[in-house]
Amino acid sequence: MNHSTTSKLEVKDLINVGLFSALYIICYFGVSFMGFVPVLMLIVPLVCSIVGGIPFMLFLTKVKKFGMVTIMSVILAIAVMMTGNSWQVIPVSIVMGLAADLIMKSGNYVSKKKALLGYAVFSEWCSGIIVSMFFGFRDKYFASLRSGYGDEYINKLEAITPDWMFYVMVVLAFVGGLIGAVLGTKILKKHFTKAGIV
Amino acid sequence: MKGIELAAVRDKNVLQLDPRTKVLCLLLMSYVMLTGSLEGKQLYLRILLALIPFVLIMTKRKYSLALGYLCFYLFVLFGDAFVLHRMNGIINLMFVFISAIAGRFLPGIMLGYYVMTTTTVSEFIAGMERMHISQKLIIPVSVMFRYFPTIAEESNAINSAMKMRGIEFGGTNRSITAMLEYRLVPVMMSTVKIGDELSAASLTKGLGGEVKRTNLCKIGFHVQDILILLIVITCFTFHFIW
Repeated sequence: MNHSTTSKLEVKDLINVGLFSALYIICYFGVSFMGFVPVLMLIVPLVCSIVGGIPFMLFLTKVKKFGMVTIMSVILAIAVMMTGNSWQVIPVSIVMGLAADLIMKSGNYVSKKKALLGYAVFSEWCSGIIVSMFFGFRDKYFASLRSGYGDEYINKLEAITPDWMFYVMVVLAFVGGLIGAVLGTKILKKHFTKAGIV
Repeated sequence: MKGIELAAVRDKNVLQLDPRTKVLCLLLMSYVMLTGSLEGKQLYLRILLALIPFVLIMTKRKYSLALGYLCFYLFVLFGDAFVLHRMNGIINLMFVFISAIAGRFLPGIMLGYYVMTTTTVSEFIAGMERMHISQKLIIPVSVMFRYFPTIAEESNAINSAMKMRGIEFGGTNRSITAMLEYRLVPVMMSTVKIGDELSAASLTKGLGGEVKRTNLCKIGFHVQDILILLIVITCFTFHFIW
């Protein structure tokens, strides 16, 4: 297949976006089920971003054009909305995806450092999910959960999430993004570069 | 998901729904199911909505699946509404786990199963194109939904291979990183391969060309679409009023 130099997105790119979104969602959601233990909820953004970084770094080897990361963030937002999160995730996710896309574009999608930073910014999309547990959204969110998850779980969750915890979780997601990107790059080097796949 | 066929098969004798109806139904229903409360008036909405996948799967003539789903769901729902709050401690946490997942996700999963098994990719694309949604979103989304069953299938095979090597909980190699790495990397490998294959296949199907694609799918709204949409939209509205 000849490598075209157009900056327009082709079907090949869109297919890769779809495949890697699926992979990312499975990694992310699989790990996020540990949030059913209240205390672990606090490190969900950290661990999810680390695990998600592995497929994401492979995805980046396929990204050569502007827009692919942004489309992925839109798809993630839609998927997350469908699994019952509130609307805040849509704007947050799209803004973070766009920002990550711009950062990576400034490195022409080859710079390792920009990829690292880009994924860390991309990981912040989950702050759109987290935010519904804090500030003005808090009461309504917990009220809607209370009947399904039982008082025990919700009370514990409320006790460990004062408002300042939001900032901690956002920072954790960023740190998780950095670690995940490094881990992903290592795994790429170990398994994929050697095998000649990327 | 072993043994459940997820590929879409066209069957002329089955009640046909428009792909747009299915997608809207899925979106609205999972929203109500996942954000709504499990008690009070909301419980009625929940039961009404839970009946939709039941009826739809019945029309597919999968009677035992449909009945099993309905019985299990009603059991979970009433168990949840009356029993959950009277327990505490570790038993409560366990039941929370089961009922939170089943009570909120099961109808969506069943409807998702119905949509996946009855909508072909070309029908889905045709429906979305009628709504003038950009190809840049249609293609990734349709690829994504088709890929989920494939991932499940692949990881089943990978799991059994890793079991033979003792890389599992309680196996000879118990390191968490190995468990993660040895399961994720093969799936990632096949993702890359499938990406190449799919893009070659899509060329032969004329996706991404300059001209507008045509297709043979007959889509359109009929009585059954209007009926189902009416129920779902009413429930959705009541979800906000109540």
